[in-house]
Amino acid sequence: MSLLEVDNIHSYYGQIHALKGISVEVNEGEIVTLIGSNGAGKSTILRTISGMMHPKKGMISFEGKDISKKEPHEIVTAGMVHVPEGRGIFPTLTVKENLEMGAFTVTDSRVIEERMEYGFSLFPRLKERIDQFGGTLSGGEQQMLAIARGLMMDPHLLMLDEPSMGLAPILVELIFDIIKDLNATRGTTILLVEQNALMALSIAHRGYVLQTGEITATDTAANLRNNEEVQKAYLGVS
Amino acid sequence: MIRFLKRINVYELVRPVGQMVLFSLGSAAFMSAIAISLALALDGTAVGASLMDKYNVSLYTYTMLNLPQVIIDGLTIGFVYAAIALGYTMVYGVLEFINFAHSEIFAVGAFVGVELLIALDGMGILAGASLGMAYAYLILAIILGMMAAGGLAVAVERVAYRPLRGASRLVPLISAIGVSFLLQDVIRLVESLTSGQFNRIMPTFGNFDSRIVFGKIAMGTSKLTLGISVKSIIVIGSAVLMLVGLNYLVNATRVGKAIRAVAQDRPTASLMGINVNRIISLTFLVGGLLGGAAGVLYALKFTRIDPFVGFFPGLKAFTAAVLGGIGNMTGALLGGIVLGMLETFAGSYMGVFTMGAAGSEYKDIFAFSILILVLIFRPQGLMGKHVMQKA
Repeated sequence: MSLLEVDNIHSYYGQIHALKGISVEVNEGEIVTLIGSNGAGKSTILRTISGMMHPKKGMISFEGKDISKKEPHEIVTAGMVHVPEGRGIFPTLTVKENLEMGAFTVTDSRVIEERMEYGFSLFPRLKERIDQFGGTLSGGEQQMLAIARGLMMDPHLLMLDEPSMGLAPILVELIFDIIKDLNATRGTTILLVEQNALMALSIAHRGYVLQTGEITATDTAANLRNNEEVQKAYLGVS
Repeated sequence: MIRFLKRINVYELVRPVGQMVLFSLGSAAFMSAIAISLALALDGTAVGASLMDKYNVSLYTYTMLNLPQVIIDGLTIGFVYAAIALGYTMVYGVLEFINFAHSEIFAVGAFVGVELLIALDGMGILAGASLGMAYAYLILAIILGMMAAGGLAVAVERVAYRPLRGASRLVPLISAIGVSFLLQDVIRLVESLTSGQFNRIMPTFGNFDSRIVFGKIAMGTSKLTLGISVKSIIVIGSAVLMLVGLNYLVNATRVGKAIRAVAQDRPTASLMGINVNRIISLTFLVGGLLGGAAGVLYALKFTRIDPFVGFFPGLKAFTAAVLGGIGNMTGALLGGIVLGMLETFAGSYMGVFTMGAAGSEYKDIFAFSILILVLIFRPQGLMGKHVMQKA
């Protein structure tokens, strides 16, 4: 049984049919990536999974339980964390408070402390900025904070939306190294949405290619990298 | 126990008190300076002469004689405005929506508290009550008013605002105005069915109407009395307690952190495991509790209430919230104090300064001119519009 099963979901923004029958499967311990151009519906899939919007049709199950009608705050406690597009840092909460928000449903202060220390071990920069407002951090630091905050729930499944957006290449590499490391050492399952398809496919096990709300291809990451269509459309190989 | 005490964030208890003292002293000094310089300037003119004619006192002396009472009255009403303004500002901070029904939430609080006291008075309980019991009854009335207003605020949000979330911003605003009218008429209906009259009078009991006199200072032929009525102490004291409590809740507790998170980014807050609807209800509850208490305190200070009692204080508290910067809690405190002070100074001195041409009935002009001026020249308010942030 897979950890996350998205079965033929349809989502709408008002009248706009954004997802037209999407099925995605993520198995325990995998890194799965969703690639595709702007407006293909990648973020919409994550938003539908995490409960920020509800599918009109179809089913989403997480660890065998139907979550398609649950609210985001209920889904978080089930062990799935969504790090949203644009990072969603609370601008006038401090770095520490932002991290504490990530563990809002955790009541044991020792656990919170431990996880925060773990986050600082991944991103020492955050510890230097601990009392600074989230809004004053650089883009890269905000992305670090977003990921560290996501890890405060110690999720089974971590969903990342465009972690490379707007970052300098060296930071992108750092972030992707950490994602890969999280998966390898802690066994965190990861669902990654990326525009930087080359980067995403370099760390993922499997991938799905999206186009205007539909999945056009799915394969192992290695095969997708060698797929001519994918290369032409997303990898900048002509 | 010690561990518990250690976890109390003393700074967040002291900071708002400091702000209140600062805002009170600052606005009192500012308004006094204006009043005194006007008095000195007008003393040599016909204005001063006419006062001398009538009461045989110079305008300067008259101004000074009244000053302590004006400042205390200004502070009293200012803290009431601040308590109401916080209800507007908290809801705005979280939903970016102005809850125009808040003035009726305030009125319902006032009515519930006053009706309880009238009922107790009717049973003859208040008349024979000892001083301690008199305070207990007043506190009971305040708590009951708070509970009624808080519960009502939560219900109004659930019924009239939540279904409209996601609609354009004008829609819940219109709904709020509708709720406001509805509640006014509900109060009228209930009062006409039960008591048969709309004007309700706060019973006189306890020592609330007596004055504590600190001393007298000779001023020419007259004497300046330094004193304060017990009522004013109660109003200011309760308001200060509530405002400190609210500040602590928002800035130093886990729930407060959630309120601030929801105010800053609602979708992301839900991804943190925060039940956003519950936090929004809580915000309305807290605003309603403050508004209800302010209602009972208002009735204590001004004695008479009617179903429209919420309208002007509500509108002025809204002005205070805008003046301070709507969405900003410190701003609501500042705005309330400044507005209360300005209005009381205007109401007390305008009549004399204009030789009776424009009396205290024009004091509202000041409040609403401020609203217009702020909206034109500094729409973000005095403290800026940083939503629900730590100061």
